[in-house]
Amino acid sequence: MSIEIKLPDLGDGIDSGTVSSVFVKAGDTIEKDQALVELETDKAVIEVPADAAGTIKKVLVAPGDEVKIGQALVKLDAADTPTSKAETPAPVAPQPDAVEETTVTQTPPATGPVTQPLVVPDMGDGVDSGTVSTVFIKPGDTIEAEAPLVELETDKAVIEVPAAQGGTVVEVLVKEGDTLKPGQEICTIQTTAAEAPATAPETASPVAFADADTSHIDMESIRQREKDAVALVKRQAQRDPSKIAPAAPSVRRFAREIGVDIHEVPGTGPGGRISVEDVKAYSKLLHTQRRAGTATGTIAAEPLPDFSKFGPIETETMNKLRQTSARHLSTAWATIPHVTQFDKADITELEKLRKAHGKKAEAAGGKLTMTAILIKVVEAALRKFPQFNASIDMAKNEIIYKKYFNIGIAVDTERGLLVPVIRDVDKKNIIDLAVELTEISVKARAKKLTVEDMQGGNFSISNLGGIGGTGFTPIVNAPEVAILGVSRSEIQPRYIDGAFQPRLIMPLALSYDHRIIDGADAARFLRWICQVLEEPFTVLLEG
Amino acid sequence: MSENHKTHLAVIGAGPGGYTAAFLAADLGMDVTLIDPEENPGGVCLYRGCIPSKALLHVAKLIEETREAHKWGVTFAEPKIDLDKLRAFKEGVVNRLTQGNGMLRNQRKIRHLRGRGRFVSPTRLEVDLHDGRSAALDFTYAIIATGSRPFLIPGLIPDSKRIWTSTGALRMEEIPQKMLVMGGGVIGMELGSVYATLGSKVSVVEMLPGILPGADLDLVRVLQKSMAPRFETIMTETKVVAMQETSKGMRVTMERKDGSTFEETYDKVMVTIGRKPNTESIGLENLNVRINDKGFIDTDIQMRTDEPNIFAIGDVVGNPMLAHKASHEGQTAVEVIAGHKAAFEPNTIPAVVYTDPELAWCGLTETEAQAQGRRVSVFRFPWAASGRAITMDRTDGLTKLIIDPETERVLGMGVVGAGAGELIAEGVLAVEMAALAGDLKLSIHPHPTLSETVMESAEMFFGTSTHVYRPRRR
Repeated sequence: MSIEIKLPDLGDGIDSGTVSSVFVKAGDTIEKDQALVELETDKAVIEVPADAAGTIKKVLVAPGDEVKIGQALVKLDAADTPTSKAETPAPVAPQPDAVEETTVTQTPPATGPVTQPLVVPDMGDGVDSGTVSTVFIKPGDTIEAEAPLVELETDKAVIEVPAAQGGTVVEVLVKEGDTLKPGQEICTIQTTAAEAPATAPETASPVAFADADTSHIDMESIRQREKDAVALVKRQAQRDPSKIAPAAPSVRRFAREIGVDIHEVPGTGPGGRISVEDVKAYSKLLHTQRRAGTATGTIAAEPLPDFSKFGPIETETMNKLRQTSARHLSTAWATIPHVTQFDKADITELEKLRKAHGKKAEAAGGKLTMTAILIKVVEAALRKFPQFNASIDMAKNEIIYKKYFNIGIAVDTERGLLVPVIRDVDKKNIIDLAVELTEISVKARAKKLTVEDMQGGNFSISNLGGIGGTGFTPIVNAPEVAILGVSRSEIQPRYIDGAFQPRLIMPLALSYDHRIIDGADAARFLRWICQVLEEPFTVLLEG
Repeated sequence: MSENHKTHLAVIGAGPGGYTAAFLAADLGMDVTLIDPEENPGGVCLYRGCIPSKALLHVAKLIEETREAHKWGVTFAEPKIDLDKLRAFKEGVVNRLTQGNGMLRNQRKIRHLRGRGRFVSPTRLEVDLHDGRSAALDFTYAIIATGSRPFLIPGLIPDSKRIWTSTGALRMEEIPQKMLVMGGGVIGMELGSVYATLGSKVSVVEMLPGILPGADLDLVRVLQKSMAPRFETIMTETKVVAMQETSKGMRVTMERKDGSTFEETYDKVMVTIGRKPNTESIGLENLNVRINDKGFIDTDIQMRTDEPNIFAIGDVVGNPMLAHKASHEGQTAVEVIAGHKAAFEPNTIPAVVYTDPELAWCGLTETEAQAQGRRVSVFRFPWAASGRAITMDRTDGLTKLIIDPETERVLGMGVVGAGAGELIAEGVLAVEMAALAGDLKLSIHPHPTLSETVMESAEMFFGTSTHVYRPRRR
């Protein structure tokens, strides 16, 4: 039954308002008291709740519309009408409490128990059927909306079908091995009328699976099947024959049938062996990613061309380290609004000191590098600017300030970039740091770093000065919020006391998370570091 | 045109690939027509290949054992060979199997067009029936399973009764006094050893540096050491450059690696230098089917040719030309036709040489690992340390495992020794299931059996083989 939800009396002499947001769209199932629109009145901004549950048929207002009290906002298929199936309008059973016409002040919906079917929803992506691999429910179960009913293996993925509606399971209509199509009934549940969704999705007509008639040769359907096989065949061309997926034949077959490339599935068994569960988990992950991808508008990687058409190529599997850092850096780059601040420090005097004290560090077993000195300076800066020694929790809208000082140092190894962390730098002097830095670099290059060695950093330093370059924009090592990039120092003329003098200048770049750090603070932070490098006494004075 | 038929699936060739495919298709409810010139399904494998040769090898092994038995205090007289009876035994084996297949075909209601088929279009075959009539067959799908035949070098090898292929040798019409096996591959070594045991003086000539190319050298060495006394000579890196039939026999000129040549005269020359796919005279010119540079039909991993409704399996699509490869390819093709997402992607296709001792391998070989530059750990368990081998007085054996040192996964297995062909199945399962060395080590193998050598090879990976003391080097 179709009803209209109208703008109720808002009281306080308000008779109209401007729609600023519409929270629902046609097809949405809404509950009573769910917000429909946000309205700006001359007194306040208010949310207008629905006074009935059901499925939105049509939204009658748009942002910017001026609406008056009593004006219809949405058309609703009210939940208290019996479920009508498909396009054929089923005869409506008489409902004692059914309300024929609805106004703002609606009669409470019917509450008598109603038995209704739960059906397979549209699975999207051109998936038109799936095989039941697990049934999660049995008669008598009380389920909530969104609770998984069955697990379906489809061409594209393994998916769990959630209940559109909560209630008590009356009858389970499917069993493991059944092939289901969208619209097909999975079970019947008993609900109160108020909980019942208004419509059941259109039932798909069953498709005959019978083999083609031998008297009729349908080359078109054969060619269509061939096209379906293209993905499989393409995989063959790309596959390295020396790499054999560690999975039993039955597992490989399962993966092939649900359209998962077994070579991409991470195995959790001994020696990386891949189980059916691993394939399912990977498939679910792909499915969620695909869903998430469409929802948030994340840009999926474009399919690659066949490079071998253009010239000889060689394919190498990314090692674990590369895979991890690729994933980590992509996430950091995509989620953190980066800004990079540049500055230059005159380290002429500092360099003299560094050379003068180099022997002491050597005696201790370390090397007094500019990085070792920078660690100490950065620690002082973090102390002075605590928002740089923090992390951000967007889910909880919290900023986490850290009371300890661990600094990560980017190390270039033959396997790729590693960032070991030097802990509690506030409790160490520069000589200590020089010694530890030497040790940890050796450890990194000897592949001896443990996971713990690389965890718990608050801030990172990447010094590419040894290689060269005038500047670069480092990527923040999430969940940290800033990173200092160091380029090669060089002698440059500085105008001091009325004359140009040759000075040793170190270029610095500070990339930071703009969600938590403002530009001015970043400029101050970096300037302060430069100042300390130029006049180390500052630390004692202010640090 | 006397007959016209329509079928859902036409299978051309009834070897192990073709008949397995046809049988499965019928089991899945398809209307199937099998086209083959023989009365019953079997193909080369059953009529002129694997099966008859194994019957003869079995007899040869028995004879060899009677000769060894004197060492154990049992002396037999020199065996008398009744060639007619031996041939009858072999033919009995062939008949029993092929007739059995014929019954299975009939029970499945598979139509048999006895003759040779030729494509006239991508949906029609013409069949020259064995009784001289012809038939037309319209099909929705077809599987080409026409197999292969022995390869001969025209110009070098004369058309003569003194020239045998495997087919001639398996007819068992005579036991030549002096015989040359040209080509030291699997077929040459198997049949050569049969005739050697039956009394022929057999020489083997092989162009390559070793016999049984493809098998790891350490395994071949064990086999060669055991078999060499039965042969006159095994000449490697030597090739036949000329043949001339004389009144005394076939005069063969051979050239050594250093270029020097020599001549020998033989009663028979068995040519086992390879096999050639049967792609001619089946009407491929009327199809959009590609033949690759090695002469095989090109297919994708679903065994589909460039014609979307035509599949090809077995020897016509490439090496290894083995019955068990063909039958699995046939099953894949049929499953694809039935609408499944099947693909022929085995992790390994095992190979067995049925000489005595037998030699078998599966998965990655040591030679392949070296060629790929892949780091592997190899563990060899000599059968001298196997209780079972010693009880059989058959210590001429070796079991080896190729293991990935990082994941500890079993990548390959090789065995030489009595019954190696049966032992290799465990290796196949290990490779297919991605078993780890630890899995083989921890699976209890019955004692005393040769299968323990597999378990102990795996123990060697951990440096703890019970019967071999070789601590793991750290």
